[in-house]
Amino acid sequence: MNRYLNQVRAIVWKDFVTELKTRELFSSMFIFALLVIIIFIFSINLSIVKASEVGPGVLWVAFLFAGTIGLNRSFMLEKENGCLQGLLFAPVDRTALYFGKLISNFVFLLIMEAFILPIFMIFFNVDLISHLLPLMYVIFVGTLGFCAIGTLLSSLSANLKTRDIMLPILLYPLIIPIIIGSVRMTGQVLAGEPLSNMANWMSLVLCFDVIYIAVSIMMIDFVLEE
Amino acid sequence: MVSRMNEQTHPDSSDPIIQVRDLRKDFGYLQALSGVSFDLNKGEFLTIFGPNGAGKTTLIKVLAGLTRPTSGSAHIDGFDALESNTELRSQIGVISHTTCLYPDLTAVENLLFYAKLYGLDDPGKRADESIREAGLQLRRHDPVRTYSRGMQQRMAIARATLHDPSVLLLDEPFTGLDLRATNALKDHLHDLHTGKRTIIMTTHDMSCGLEMCDKVAIQHKGKFLLLESVDKIDRENFENFYTEILEK
Repeated sequence: MNRYLNQVRAIVWKDFVTELKTRELFSSMFIFALLVIIIFIFSINLSIVKASEVGPGVLWVAFLFAGTIGLNRSFMLEKENGCLQGLLFAPVDRTALYFGKLISNFVFLLIMEAFILPIFMIFFNVDLISHLLPLMYVIFVGTLGFCAIGTLLSSLSANLKTRDIMLPILLYPLIIPIIIGSVRMTGQVLAGEPLSNMANWMSLVLCFDVIYIAVSIMMIDFVLEE
Repeated sequence: MVSRMNEQTHPDSSDPIIQVRDLRKDFGYLQALSGVSFDLNKGEFLTIFGPNGAGKTTLIKVLAGLTRPTSGSAHIDGFDALESNTELRSQIGVISHTTCLYPDLTAVENLLFYAKLYGLDDPGKRADESIREAGLQLRRHDPVRTYSRGMQQRMAIARATLHDPSVLLLDEPFTGLDLRATNALKDHLHDLHTGKRTIIMTTHDMSCGLEMCDKVAIQHKGKFLLLESVDKIDRENFENFYTEILEK
């Protein structure tokens, strides 16, 4: 077990060192999410619609699109110089590989989201600070589900020529329940409702988080086989 | 669970360390391997020659546990190579067409990462030793993408031998190297073979391949057309035979 955890930690460490040197992943995700928010702010008349009603959708669209770029890039880095083969040659359980990549993707996405939230707050003029804890919780469970299935599918699409197109085509239909749940919960949080009022949505998103992680553990061996 | 041929016992040293029987691999209608069988004893060096598309890389991938064959069996050091098991992978070092090195990481960071993956004791020390063996101490803190092809190949060997594997699988290790780098790599491989390692190498380079090996094979259209001890072949006849195959 210790060895397993060390291997997961090694993969996360490698991803962080690479990202600290290149900053490719963060910069591309952040710029994309920022652009999405800017486009929406100019296309929505906030004097007619309430920011707390349209804001959650905009926020999650930004996270979703930027996250897809991050997921695509994450496994493309492993394809360079055949590094993915190097990982597969090593005595590493495939699930350790999955969890290592999942944690890296999850943390990178959370960091990007932490930078996007203040920008969203300023542009949409919504008070996030007074709802910060429940909002963080919602973002945490939503992002976890997105990364859980996204990491599996990005490892699958990494071997395809049409990987840039295939990942969104495979990912978006599967991520719908999580995104709908997260958008609804974010809206309720911004309206000042407590988390206990959104138990149904929370259960739905958490259920999909668990299902997607379980499915990934079962599938990763077949997905990574050449 | 690890499946071994001889339950509970380690194979006797006189047993072949690699046993391949009737290995077949189909990619749709294409037969990459069509009935490859051979034995290799501990410490032996087998060189496999063959034209492009002969199935050499597929054979290496199957032995490395990267590709599942359609049928047949392969055992390495008693382990079933067709089952995905981490214990077997810790006995094997593989050098493929690509270096498997992260271009933005330095030599130290790359080897440290792999040392951690292989669960080595004191990964930092082992990474330093491997860099010294590869003769890259002066460039150890430079990103690997700044290395020449020869240096990258030396790093690839350092990565593959980091965990001191008993079996080395080398897939065209001389590709893209100049004469100096080829000679350096030959010396390095010679050192590796002088130890206790069993080596399988695929190559197009006739002189390099014949110089180092104990056994030689020619693979064509997924089959071994020839498998012989290098002492028993007449080099000129062998070269002519191989040239004929290349021209087919």
